[in-house]
Amino acid sequence: MRLPGVDPNRPPPGPFRPDFWRSPLRGRWLTSVLGLILLIGIPIVAITGLISNVAYQPLLGANSIGTNLSPLDLYVFTWPTRPVWLYALTEGLHVTIGLALFPVLLAKLWSVFPRLFEWPPVRSPAHALERISLVLLVGSAMFEFLSGIFVTQFYYPFPFFFTSAHYFGAWVFIGAFGAHVALKFGTMRRGLRTRGDVMEAAGSGAALEPGPVSLTAVSPGPVTMSRRVLLGTVGAGSLLLLVQGAAGAIGGPFRFLSLFGPHTNPGSGPLDFPITETAAAAQITPASVGDAWRLEVVGKQTLRFSREQLLAMPQHTYDLPVACTEGWSTTQRWTGVRLRDLATLAGVHEAATVTSDSVQPAGYVVTLGSEQVADEQSLLALRVNGIDLSLDHGFPARVISPAVPGTHCTKWVSGMQFSPVPA
Amino acid sequence: MTRFRALYGAGPLNLLALLASFAIAGAAVVGWFQRPRDVVSVLVWFAAAIVLHDLVLLPLYSLLDRIAFGVAGKRLRGARRPDVSGLVNPTPYLRIPAILSGLLLAVFFPVIGGFGAQTELSASGIPESGYLARWLLATGVIFAASAIAYALAIARAGGPPATAGPPPGTAGPPPGTAGPPATPDPGPDQVLVDPRPAAPDQDQAAPSDGAAPTPTPD
Repeated sequence: MRLPGVDPNRPPPGPFRPDFWRSPLRGRWLTSVLGLILLIGIPIVAITGLISNVAYQPLLGANSIGTNLSPLDLYVFTWPTRPVWLYALTEGLHVTIGLALFPVLLAKLWSVFPRLFEWPPVRSPAHALERISLVLLVGSAMFEFLSGIFVTQFYYPFPFFFTSAHYFGAWVFIGAFGAHVALKFGTMRRGLRTRGDVMEAAGSGAALEPGPVSLTAVSPGPVTMSRRVLLGTVGAGSLLLLVQGAAGAIGGPFRFLSLFGPHTNPGSGPLDFPITETAAAAQITPASVGDAWRLEVVGKQTLRFSREQLLAMPQHTYDLPVACTEGWSTTQRWTGVRLRDLATLAGVHEAATVTSDSVQPAGYVVTLGSEQVADEQSLLALRVNGIDLSLDHGFPARVISPAVPGTHCTKWVSGMQFSPVPA
Repeated sequence: MTRFRALYGAGPLNLLALLASFAIAGAAVVGWFQRPRDVVSVLVWFAAAIVLHDLVLLPLYSLLDRIAFGVAGKRLRGARRPDVSGLVNPTPYLRIPAILSGLLLAVFFPVIGGFGAQTELSASGIPESGYLARWLLATGVIFAASAIAYALAIARAGGPPATAGPPPGTAGPPPGTAGPPATPDPGPDQVLVDPRPAAPDQDQAAPSDGAAPTPTPD
């Protein structure tokens, strides 16, 4: 296949000429090693990301981001309540492994960068399709990694709704990644075996690979670091970012290692644990949560409770994590009324979902499933670590439920509606 | 089959894999259209992500590396004086911490630069000031660790750096950061090759810049 006006033997000057690329480190072995690491890591990030979507229980109430790829998605199971740290684990892995893979991704892209300028730009229909697929792969990879990294830092430089964009970007990425693995797996396997040859030929300019463009520089510059040192540096970078993610996800005594975690709270009192949204940010006014505050519970009948009435009901205490979508989590001791007790009082004795709303002016409507409502550890929490909730932690009352995303644990609850699940 | 290969340029499985990936991508793009107001910005950011990496980030760090550690950079700095590092090549001990510090900056620049500050302060109640100091501190610790590793490597190599002479050992990477000692990348130790392809290796006599210095050929 010849493109009009393109002479395959006369590339334009600059990066299109093979001798432009001089690093003696590039080569099939290096690319294959980096590819293997990504081949192991990316599926973990992808699957934990899809699991996160399941944890949001998008089929309930208004939980859905308005969008899902049902035929492809993991809707084969309902989100369980045990182990209580399940979401902390899956989301912690998603963020932490994602961070740790970022340096590997950068190194991998660097290692194959000359291919972007290969000449002729298109050799065959297969080559053209593969290059289109690579545009999707590189674009979606950078899109997913950057948007994810930004959002864990509360940085929203883009106008679109992150959750939806990240979700569908993930599907572009998964598709392109799958095709890339299918096309390149054999090349990678052979590349991993070429180590000795590559090492020997590094710097000598020998083109080891068949095919039109070799990754090995044809006229390499001076050797200023070995491939092993490069891989070690990438590994050290990964480790550094892994610690950043893991320290936030594990929390407790390790949280100080999370240097750039957006939720580092220096205190050590009973209320000094991370939060995502302050009362001020949610525009909670003192009046809206003062003595006049009532919880409206709707079921077969509608009831209204003051905070004192709720405190007079049977109280239960459990250690449960608040696990944020940004990857951090914190386990605290919560005390309050069981959701299932409230359901019973409202006349709902069968399996039911609960939709809760918040006093915040913008509203905060979230639905938990019948597994969550039935679980003895699902609470409308009134106290934490032995003292009353603070305003920032959701006073007068907040939802806490095992293994659900922190964003589904509504704070400043104003109303709860229990809806029986059709049998 | 051979006819298909001749026309298409690869086997049928290649075509099937690519078509499957395009189908999934297409479904995802249709999904994006469920929020019509977001579609344009998502596509713009998708393209911007490629441009940002391929045409900004990668060329930028390549250029910085070349200025700092490359031949051209040496010329720029006029560093023609004898290599005082002597036994141990200092380049990795500067380059590796620089890469790690730069990586932290590249990943955490939103909090370090306070770009998410408004949201952050109002959202979690914790001011973001101090993240710049943390990054500088982390950078200091990383470079200090590298300096210690360099000092140890010099000590291992047997003497203060001023001694010139044939390097007896190879420069290992800093312990703990870069794995086992560097194995030399074999091949001619092309030292200070001019970046222009046609230029001869006129600087062969200069001391090695390599991670694994070996006696120069002449």
